[in-house]
Amino acid sequence: MITVKNVTFRYKGNEETALNEISLTVVNHDFVGIIGTSGAGKSTLAMALNGVIPHEFAGDFYGEVLIDDEDTVDHAAEYFGRKVGEVFQDIDSQMVASVVEDEILFGLENFGIPHEEIGIRLEKVLRELGIEDLRHREIASLSGGQKQKVAIAAILALEPEILVLDEPTGELDPESSQEIFGLLKKLNEEKGITVVIVEQKIKLLCEYVKHLVVLDRGKLQFDGVPREVITHIDTFKRLGINVPPVAELSAMFRADGSYAGDVTLTVEEAEKMVREVLHDSV
Amino acid sequence: MNLLNYVPGDSFLHRLNPITKLAAAFLYGIACILCGNIGMEAAFIVLMIVISASAGLAGRALRLTRNLVILGLFMFVLQLFFVRTGAPLVVVKGFVLITTGGLRSALLLSLRVVATMLPLMILFAITPMNDLCNALVKRAHLPYRYAFIITTAFRFVPLFSTEFHEIQDAQRARGVDFETKNLIRKVQLVAPLCVPLLVSSLEKVNSSAISAQMRGFELRNRTSGYKEYPFHAGDAVVFATLAGMIAVSAVLL
Repeated sequence: MITVKNVTFRYKGNEETALNEISLTVVNHDFVGIIGTSGAGKSTLAMALNGVIPHEFAGDFYGEVLIDDEDTVDHAAEYFGRKVGEVFQDIDSQMVASVVEDEILFGLENFGIPHEEIGIRLEKVLRELGIEDLRHREIASLSGGQKQKVAIAAILALEPEILVLDEPTGELDPESSQEIFGLLKKLNEEKGITVVIVEQKIKLLCEYVKHLVVLDRGKLQFDGVPREVITHIDTFKRLGINVPPVAELSAMFRADGSYAGDVTLTVEEAEKMVREVLHDSV
Repeated sequence: MNLLNYVPGDSFLHRLNPITKLAAAFLYGIACILCGNIGMEAAFIVLMIVISASAGLAGRALRLTRNLVILGLFMFVLQLFFVRTGAPLVVVKGFVLITTGGLRSALLLSLRVVATMLPLMILFAITPMNDLCNALVKRAHLPYRYAFIITTAFRFVPLFSTEFHEIQDAQRARGVDFETKNLIRKVQLVAPLCVPLLVSSLEKVNSSAISAQMRGFELRNRTSGYKEYPFHAGDAVVFATLAGMIAVSAVLL
């Protein structure tokens, strides 16, 4: 569990704070989505969740981040590296090896996992992500979606309790994005891994996450279940985030009084709603 | 760059211990440096190409040889005119232009450049950089930090090259004409691109360092490596053969 209490962070040399009085709780087995415009502090928040901030970036840090009641400030950055694994935004530069297998081995070797267990974990994680065939491939020759899976595999091999991902689908096509989300959902549901994902694609967030956090210029705007958060359509419009058309449609129906149910988040829900509205008006 | 890429394979050369390969490349070079016989120097080059061919790398070896010959030609020309020993060979209007000593020395040195460099270049084709560094850490007790620097440097070359082309394309889209024939103009156009390239490189290196750190880079020690790099009989054969080669070269000196 991660508890963020009144965290404010200002990068060295900047006037404005990147994070401003953020408080937030990530409970075990949660699936959290963080959304916001660029410069809203999403990446900064993601990096504050496991101590990369303030350890690796100079600046002023106020408040506290507790990981299972341990303060991130009290330990070196890598102390939480195994418990809270992070897949960073720049997919190419976070790789440390040139071959897939070596990339996954890196963390396992460093953290001193017994050698007899390393082989087992390596094969397990390759299987889980369905990338056994990539094992001996050069990372440079992989597609964006494949690289992303390798990056996730390298972290997952460390068996983290919490997985933080910073825009993992940023450079992916819609199909691969969906695939990554599906994978995360599986990890969340089947293995109980807590997932925190920074993401711009609100449609995917609405479809997959249990808990949606909206940031705006370093401030927490909303924090709740997607169905509730998404009702603030005007705020989303002001922030320049396009809400899914199905949500907007339900908001329109609600506004003119022809519909009284929940916001619709998927096409199926919207279809049901439209049938209901049409049925009522007949 | 593609002349230095690793070429996967399962030949005798590929299966050698990475440390044997590195040492062998150097020892082969020493034999070539000690050798003072033009015919034997040429034989060393041919032998290296044959050895490469046994690992399915004949094409690579020939292309490398061609490139190295260009380098050798520079040495040839320099030696040809600057070494003044021996009998006059070419005399122009009473001035001795080329001597027999000059020609001999030029041939020997240019062949030696090719013969010495070729095995080092082939080394990259038969050894993944990661394996070489891991083996050096495990077997030769090279501090991991240095091994990591070497692998990272190699890994970043294609990344920087992609980055550079992206910056160049962005400039081209704004009307900069990089296709100019004028070399000075070309340098003038390309030089300013180094600034954005440097900035983005530093960013990439920084995020790479953070990613390595969070995956326990600081905790690593010599025994951390998962893969073992044992020496086999083949490695001993290679060392014995090279010792023989060096001895023959030294005797024929």
